[in-house]
Amino acid sequence: MKRKNLRWLSAVLSVVALLGAACGGSDDDDAGGDNGNKTLQAAPGFDPAAGVIRLGVISPLTGPVAAIGVPLTAGNRVWFDHINAQGGIAGKYKIELDAKDSQYIPQNAIQRYNEIKNNVVMFAQLLGTPSTNAVLPQLKTDNIVASPASLDAEWVRQPNLLPIGGPYQIQMINAADWLMKEGGGQGKTICTMTQDDVYGQAGQQGVDFAAKELNFTVKTQAKFKGSAPDFTAQVQQLKGAGCQVVFLVSTPTDTGKALGTAAQQGFAPQWIGQSPSYIGALAQSALKDYLARTFYLAGEGSEWGDPAVPGMKPMLDRLRDYQPSQQPDYYFAFGYNQARAVTQVLEKAVELGDLGREGIKRAMEQVGTLTFDGLSGDYKYGPAAEREPPRTSTLFKINPDKPIGIERVKYDYTSDAAKKYTFAEAK
Amino acid sequence: MRLRNLNMTRDYADDLKLFRTRQSKASIVAVLALALLLPVLLPDDFWLSVLVYAGIFAIGAIGLNLLSGYTGQVSLGHAFFMACGAYTTMMLGTRHELPLPVWLLASAVVGGLVGGIVGPFALRLRGNYLAVISLGLVFLGQHVFENWESLTGGPGGNGSTAPLSLGFLDFNALAVGGRAYTRNQSFFWLVWALVFLSLLIAKNIVRSRPGRAMQAIRDRDVAAQVIGVSLGRYKVGAFVVSSALAAMAGALFATYQQFIAPDSFNLFLSIQFVFMIIVGGIGTVFGSVIGALFAGLLPALVSKYGGSIPFIEQQPGAGGLTVFQVNQIAFGVLIILFLILEPRGLAAVWLRIKAYFRAWPFSY
Repeated sequence: MKRKNLRWLSAVLSVVALLGAACGGSDDDDAGGDNGNKTLQAAPGFDPAAGVIRLGVISPLTGPVAAIGVPLTAGNRVWFDHINAQGGIAGKYKIELDAKDSQYIPQNAIQRYNEIKNNVVMFAQLLGTPSTNAVLPQLKTDNIVASPASLDAEWVRQPNLLPIGGPYQIQMINAADWLMKEGGGQGKTICTMTQDDVYGQAGQQGVDFAAKELNFTVKTQAKFKGSAPDFTAQVQQLKGAGCQVVFLVSTPTDTGKALGTAAQQGFAPQWIGQSPSYIGALAQSALKDYLARTFYLAGEGSEWGDPAVPGMKPMLDRLRDYQPSQQPDYYFAFGYNQARAVTQVLEKAVELGDLGREGIKRAMEQVGTLTFDGLSGDYKYGPAAEREPPRTSTLFKINPDKPIGIERVKYDYTSDAAKKYTFAEAK
Repeated sequence: MRLRNLNMTRDYADDLKLFRTRQSKASIVAVLALALLLPVLLPDDFWLSVLVYAGIFAIGAIGLNLLSGYTGQVSLGHAFFMACGAYTTMMLGTRHELPLPVWLLASAVVGGLVGGIVGPFALRLRGNYLAVISLGLVFLGQHVFENWESLTGGPGGNGSTAPLSLGFLDFNALAVGGRAYTRNQSFFWLVWALVFLSLLIAKNIVRSRPGRAMQAIRDRDVAAQVIGVSLGRYKVGAFVVSSALAAMAGALFATYQQFIAPDSFNLFLSIQFVFMIIVGGIGTVFGSVIGALFAGLLPALVSKYGGSIPFIEQQPGAGGLTVFQVNQIAFGVLIILFLILEPRGLAAVWLRIKAYFRAWPFSY
């Protein structure tokens, strides 16, 4: 009986509040916009009484790919710490992260996902193309949204994923375009060396597309298993084929091993790495001279600390405030941008008055364009079929004197071939 | 009117009974009731998920216990047989969308066939040599599955969504008597029903003629042969049954996760099975289930309450041991400790407790 009365009371009150809002009686006293007087419904991972939104993170925090996972998660944290310091989402809901370790093993990613899926509003980070592929069927069944820390073009059309940044395929197409037009690649023998999984396939797709558009052929494709102990066979294969340019799709630990093997064998082609192939520590290692001579990196954004990028100084200030121990790092910036995208979607969901699973998806469709103050390309959102990712890339070369060892060669450009690339409908 | 004596085995028939006393019948009923009620009493997804995995592994562990525990054939290839079942399901269930009984039985049949092909090696090899051969199976399997891309999706793995309907029951979301249940609850019932079925099969094998033959082979294979036990029939037979159970576990594993990669079926998985039967109790049927529960709950407890254990890292990346490392260390340490201190596993502890109370007040 009592509960019925309460329900009536709240119904009457909300009608009154709505009328008040409609009559232009803007007695808004908080930053919640037109949602100031409406309490949001509780949802999995959202407790309106405590004012807490919980977000999941599934990332390799140990193992060989932790070199990416740890700084990337730190990037997530710094941005959310900054948001919490401002009062939280919509000025009143604090963000809590629940970070779980996947070790870059799809199997583990699934188990961690099952562990926390019902205690989070969405996943602010899901690292790795293989892990994302593994969890995707369940994301669809459970209708949960996750933001992949992986740039496969496959994600663009997936309604349950919130990707940011230019896809790997675009990185490779833009890099190939630069190589052919400015990098002296005409007439050279071009090869690829890829991790033997979906992540490797993404890069290979980009190179193959560029080969068709720009009329070159890929002489040989050397494949290796992620975290392989030895790269002699692959390096021999590339050396034997007389490769002068090698597009490399790998993760940092493997890059170190592969290039180390190549250096020992006296094999020094022009390497062009996909963004996750590199980490700042490589520019401080024994390989630095070899890298500076041979290695180019296809990525996004600008050098660390570039004053021309509007978002750079605030990021560095927040890094200093919230995580002073974190060294400058390419993946830190990615995690920071990713958290920023998630925040924009959550803000929209609060504005639409629903932090449930449907609400998050609706917010993604209506959020418009996600912006990153120049740290990453703008990403046009809408229904999954109409999303438009950034198609710009930046090409870097290695300079050990720079903060994360990378120096701009060609900044923020879009090739004609990249504009032609179409993103397939979700399977 | 025969005097019932509950404490002693007085004739051969006593040894063959499935339920020796009224108490044991009652306890089975109680356990069944608990299994039926548990998902309703504990609808928490995390724990249900842990128990579903434990049930899946229990089926595989029962199989390994028949092979290693009862027949004495050491095998590190259990993960491979599990993979055979998983990929049979991917072929028939996911690609051709055949119904649940079809893909489940087909997985068991394929697993049994593969086991039948591998079995004869055991006639030529013993102990460590057999272990090495079966170890080879795991790597062979991984290589084949990683390169059979049209079926497995290559190293990146593949989604696996086989149909889960059985007549009016849909184990993706059961709706019985006007009440809807979650996927985890539904799956729990499916998996544990199959665990009980496997228990029944295994128990009936070991208490009858084949079971005695298997144990004779385990204890003294030459002597067994002399008294007329056919080594070929029973060794290969044990391989067939054990692999069929492992394959059935693989089929459920793939369907529950909705995704599998060849890398899931690695050596560590085989080691986990060995861990389960050693900790649970080698040469006991219900010990396999205890072992699987133990192996499933241990990592879950560590990851859930790791925060209150001093040397486990609180914030990932903050140093200290990770949950995963703690598990691997714990598995290794426990295998060693059990083999030295309690070679018959947790089942033996349980039997000792039971014996103590049975003979009470004259238990020495």
